[in-house]
Amino acid sequence: MSNEVVDMITVVIDGFEVSVPKGTLVIRAAEKLGIQIPRFCDHPLLDPVGACRQCLVDIEINGRAFPKPQASCTIPVEPGMIVKTQLTSAVAKKAQEGVMEMLLINHPLDCPVCDKGGECPLQNQAMSNGQSDSRFEGTKRTFEKPIHISSQVLLDRERCVLCARCTRFSEQIASDPFITLNERGALQQVGIYEKQPFESYFSGNTVQICPVGALTGASYRFRARPFDLVSTPSACEHCASGCSLRTDVRRGKTLRRLAGDDAEVNEEWNCDKGRWAFKYVTAADRLTHPMVRNASGELQEASWPEAIAAAAAGLQKTSAAVLVGGRASVEDAYGYSKFARVTLGTNNIDFRSRISTAEERDFIASTVVRAKTTYRDIDRADSVLLVGFEPEEESPIVFLRIHKQVRKRALKVTAIASKLSIGNEKLSANFVCVAPGSEATALPSVALTAQSVILVGERACESAGLLSAIAALAEKTGAKLAWIPRRAGERGAIAAGAIGNLLPGGRPVADASARVDVAAAWGVTSIPSSLGLSSDEIIAAVNKGTIGALVVGGVDPLDGENHHEMLEALQKAFVVSLEIRPSAVTTLADVVLPVAAVTEKSGSFLDWEGRSRNFEAAVVDSLQRSDVRLLSMIADEMSKPISLSTVKAASKEFASLGNWDGAPSALSLTSVQTVSALQANEALLTSWRRLLDEGSLQQGEENLAGTARKPVVVISPKRAASIGVTDGEAVRVSNSHGAIVLPVLVEAIHDDAVWLPRNSRGSHLLATFGVASGAVVTVVKD
Amino acid sequence: MAFTDKDLQVMDSIINRYPRKRSAIMPLLHYAQSRDGFITSDGIETIAKKLDLETAEVSAVATFYTQYKRKPVGEYHVGVCTNTLCAVMGGDEIFAGLKDHLGIENDGVTADGKVSLEHIECNAACDFAPVVMANWEFYDNQTVQSAKDLVDSMRAGKPKAPTRGPDVLQNWKETSAVLAGINDGHANEGVQAGAPTLLGLNISKKGARG
Ligand code: SF4
Ligand code: SF4
Ligand code: FES
Ligand code: FES
Repeated sequence: MSNEVVDMITVVIDGFEVSVPKGTLVIRAAEKLGIQIPRFCDHPLLDPVGACRQCLVDIEINGRAFPKPQASCTIPVEPGMIVKTQLTSAVAKKAQEGVMEMLLINHPLDCPVCDKGGECPLQNQAMSNGQSDSRFEGTKRTFEKPIHISSQVLLDRERCVLCARCTRFSEQIASDPFITLNERGALQQVGIYEKQPFESYFSGNTVQICPVGALTGASYRFRARPFDLVSTPSACEHCASGCSLRTDVRRGKTLRRLAGDDAEVNEEWNCDKGRWAFKYVTAADRLTHPMVRNASGELQEASWPEAIAAAAAGLQKTSAAVLVGGRASVEDAYGYSKFARVTLGTNNIDFRSRISTAEERDFIASTVVRAKTTYRDIDRADSVLLVGFEPEEESPIVFLRIHKQVRKRALKVTAIASKLSIGNEKLSANFVCVAPGSEATALPSVALTAQSVILVGERACESAGLLSAIAALAEKTGAKLAWIPRRAGERGAIAAGAIGNLLPGGRPVADASARVDVAAAWGVTSIPSSLGLSSDEIIAAVNKGTIGALVVGGVDPLDGENHHEMLEALQKAFVVSLEIRPSAVTTLADVVLPVAAVTEKSGSFLDWEGRSRNFEAAVVDSLQRSDVRLLSMIADEMSKPISLSTVKAASKEFASLGNWDGAPSALSLTSVQTVSALQANEALLTSWRRLLDEGSLQQGEENLAGTARKPVVVISPKRAASIGVTDGEAVRVSNSHGAIVLPVLVEAIHDDAVWLPRNSRGSHLLATFGVASGAVVTVVKD
Repeated sequence: MAFTDKDLQVMDSIINRYPRKRSAIMPLLHYAQSRDGFITSDGIETIAKKLDLETAEVSAVATFYTQYKRKPVGEYHVGVCTNTLCAVMGGDEIFAGLKDHLGIENDGVTADGKVSLEHIECNAACDFAPVVMANWEFYDNQTVQSAKDLVDSMRAGKPKAPTRGPDVLQNWKETSAVLAGINDGHANEGVQAGAPTLLGLNISKKGARG
């Protein structure tokens, strides 16, 4: 693709020549010269529509002039074209002023109370390209204001300039056409269908691209003036898509987050979780002071030196292991990794505080560390295969990227799953329906080439044999493979070596030269050579008494299948907990150390591609510290220093280690488990987490929660008939641990399967069932 | 009113006339209107489901075209053209006269449900101005009196026949079915292009262009 020949066309704009690729719109060509033509509806990532008429210019081609000014956002350049904008043509200038005057006829004088005031394209361009006076003397049209088009998005219809950016975004980019232009003439207005709110995972983007203050977010409405905000480029902590964001802070408080502009990753979009889920940072229960369990067994506030000393003393006494959640920044994960090896002298560290397997760990070491697949590969793919992965729910920007190609060139998408998802329907995916656990059996039927891309999600490990079969398939076909975890920190944790079989840079623990490498870089005599335990094994070891202490950072016991064992282990062991808010871990910990949230610290994540996403502290005066600094203090106290007293130091040292260039470890095939026969009323559980659910980082944002998809139990028409239920009736799903009752939705799903959201309101599978997929449950009418 | 199985079959037959389902949206809206008298929520939701569209997309079309009504109209829906030419030729008086005579405002329906009134834009029948339409059929060259007589005939249950087009005036639901593409057998009745419409053409044919 790099050697594609691009036809260039030269045109003259306001007397200056400019050469641009064929197909470029006049308005873009003018931008190249630094000439700004005013516009509202034009958006580089949306199809041209010519709705607002603000961008009128004079055009002639080879001496023949258009009789009237033309919309520069809809006309591509042509050879011999001469364009005169408002800068050189009195006609264009007058036309633009006329359009502006017309747009302002019904526009209210809301600027002093409008959220957009101060950053408003209408306000700005009315000043730069309008007149100071209006000939309109009538009464302005008014509407009831504002109306809720979802619990999160508000619409002030009289502010709308009918540019159709929001409706085009919803249709073309998100494929959620829940908002449309309704009515006509003077009453034309954006609207929803009365019973279907604008519940799109991407709705916030319309608020951001609305060129006026017609669409506003309920959480930010009337909170700030743009010129009082301090903006910091940030990276999103909510998933592995890797969105670049902008965090706007006023007086130490984050008031909003916007999608950043990164053509390689999120283009100019993000999802509503990344945009609106940040209230957890300012939650009233944030941990602010270190705490140490006192002689009578109660957690008590302590000074930093006391707490660090207590942590060090406890860890020194016994063998210790590290559990670090998948949300740590690369620098923090590197801190945990080095702390485990150097200070605790163990490889017992695992970032996978979720369902995980040994097969997955081998897959990570053999395959993920080498994966180089990127967003660009999706752009160029001849087909995309999705396995154990729901892009819209689990990595929404990956979904947008695939959807872009589906829309542009009918990219072929195949999804191997037990249930057809809303997202895959929008991708027109070829749905290969399999029973939960049998995904691997469907792999041979998918035709792949070296131009194909296989995207596999973290849930693939829940199906035995699947990951190794996928790795083998990629090897055989030459297809590009990417493993896309849900959490933002997982790829970085792998690179940092926060897992028992890898050292930083993808170096296998089992490889002696890799250990020597790292030992030299760290200035220690050796690195422990025995493979570290997985998080499940660490928990079992604590309960058996072979491990006596745990360092736990950002882990929720309810994310795993064995939370009873986990709670037991937390009770048994000496626990040092690094957390931002009280949790099941902090309640049982012996030392609690408060740490900084993403907006309060600098650092980086690696997105699913392995691409670095840097962020700076948006809240500059936060007193909270990044995990790595605290670990470094404990290490000093234990006289086994890791010397990472700042995030910068961690980042520099990690970078200097570089990547392993030796042979990666091999992956052997794991056999696929055969599914036992089901009794009547029995089904195999399948589930995933929805993008908007009861995740702890989404707490405190009710407006956002209101747009979440409603929890349902999904069963096939055949099962519905056999248990005698229809859509909306209550169904009871149970196993020996517990039961969940929810309304049923009869849909395309494998006859042997039942689907529930993994962690939504009234549907917490791991807490209720102790399992989340593949297990047998009973499904009956309630 | 929920759609019957037969209604749903008719909808399918309409959809089958088009290479792409979504093209059937306008006839389906007319058809839904022919069953319910106006576009109900049930109508929008049923059509959205049939065409694999979102309800918002269907509602956008239903609210854009004034031929689709989101609330009940009369058995006979009377439109008085009040665009420039008809207005100056008497359309304004006719509209005022009918409002007065029926005791309803623009977009109103008489209490007996027989007649509703709406001022409409140019019908491309300026050559017969002032024009009144009833259920989209033409009543040309009207006066205040002839328009009053027309609505009286509707309220009496014996509506006068259109001055152009079919021999009988169908009621609102029947007309909606015709617009959905269901033949009522009156398609070829009456004059289509009248003398005033053809006047210019005939002059030019005679070579009178000079
Ligand atoms: S609401 Fe905003 S984005 Fe949508 S059409 Fe109106 S002005 Fe444009
Ligand atoms: S897609 Fe992922 S990275 Fe982007 S804003 Fe949403 S949660 Fe954040
Ligand atoms: S910007 Fe060109 S018509 Fe709107
Ligand atoms: S103005 Fe009434 S038909 Fe044209």
